[in-house]
Amino acid sequence: STESLVQATIPFEMGKIVGLQSQSRSQAETSTQVFLKSSIRNFRGADATSPLSYKAVMLEYSRPKKEKVKRRSKGSRMNAAQKRRMKLFTIRPEHQRYELFLPLHHLWRQYITDVCSGLKPTSSPQFLQQKLLKADLHGAVLSVVRSRCPSYVGTTGILVQEFKHVFKIITKENKVKVIPKRNSVFSLEMGGFTSFIYGSRFEQRASERSAKKFKVRGTIDL
Amino acid sequence: MAGQIKDKDAYQRLNYLYQAAHCVLSQNPDNVELARFYCSTQRTIARRLVLRQDPSVKRTVCKKCCSLLIPGVSATTRQRRKKGKIRFTVMRCLSCGHTKKLLNNPDYCLWADRPEAQLEQPPKLPETTNILSTQSFTCERAQPVDQCVLCPGKPRTVEGEAISQRGVDVS
Ligand SMILES: [Zn+2]
Repeated sequence: STESLVQATIPFEMGKIVGLQSQSRSQAETSTQVFLKSSIRNFRGADATSPLSYKAVMLEYSRPKKEKVKRRSKGSRMNAAQKRRMKLFTIRPEHQRYELFLPLHHLWRQYITDVCSGLKPTSSPQFLQQKLLKADLHGAVLSVVRSRCPSYVGTTGILVQEFKHVFKIITKENKVKVIPKRNSVFSLEMGGFTSFIYGSRFEQRASERSAKKFKVRGTIDL
Repeated sequence: MAGQIKDKDAYQRLNYLYQAAHCVLSQNPDNVELARFYCSTQRTIARRLVLRQDPSVKRTVCKKCCSLLIPGVSATTRQRRKKGKIRFTVMRCLSCGHTKKLLNNPDYCLWADRPEAQLEQPPKLPETTNILSTQSFTCERAQPVDQCVLCPGKPRTVEGEAISQRGVDVS
């Protein structure tokens, strides 16, 4: 009887109240896989179903044996070395697919139109530039227009991560390209306007830019 | 008018980053790295510009590794109880194992919702401290002056005492 309870479908009215949306088959598949992976201990890769078929599984995530860790690690923040060791920010190759980032790009479009108060064709370029300097660029479509290294020129894709010296761009060929900001000019297309980003002047972390004041200096040599 | 809000651009940016993290996770719940990157960018921006984030946002971001905590996807949520009747909601980050304990108290009122938070007035310092901070150069090796004046619990040094008296005299 417990089994029938577990497998029962959710009543339609209740689903409407909670706001359930049915997922496509592949989406449901991946989320189930991820859920199993995160909640079964000693999960081994793709054969998630084989242990399910013959034995009872503990769904509760159990912590590994409590080891007496040094007092020092009690602080909640991580230091840079720990972050690097855990690879907190590197995108795994199985997620490097272009179509996964299209929704992000659509979200970015909405955001940038909102920031530029409508992005009308009449708005002045100076105003847009001011806004763009303080805006976030993750999710934008960037392409390299000019560069000291000619092999970068022409690369187009969605900006996935912005670091201090480097843009990580995912191209339509599902490749993540790492492009140094220095000595490159990027173009950014939004709602009929095209802006150029001079990478040599942009060498800051993504988070530093919103606090910084930019100086207007005419000379940009490349 | 919306243009009046201070740091509107920055708030919009924080909002976008938070939404982007959700968007990435909804595409593939396994892609925690990118969501984490966006959340940590969001946190650094807020820290740099000293912007307060809403508690509902802070409670869904792991303090240790900056992952976005979504129950069932990247975090587990459990009800725990200590000895007495006190009940907690314990959220556990699945990528680093850090836990967040929230007291179950339906009557809890966030600071931002309380009437005294709306006054927007930082507690006024006594006038002497203002004078002191400008005159603190009078003594070479006094501790930071506002420390000994503002915290009565701390033992004042002799120099601190002298300065505060002088400050009173001036006022
Ligand atoms: Zn965490």
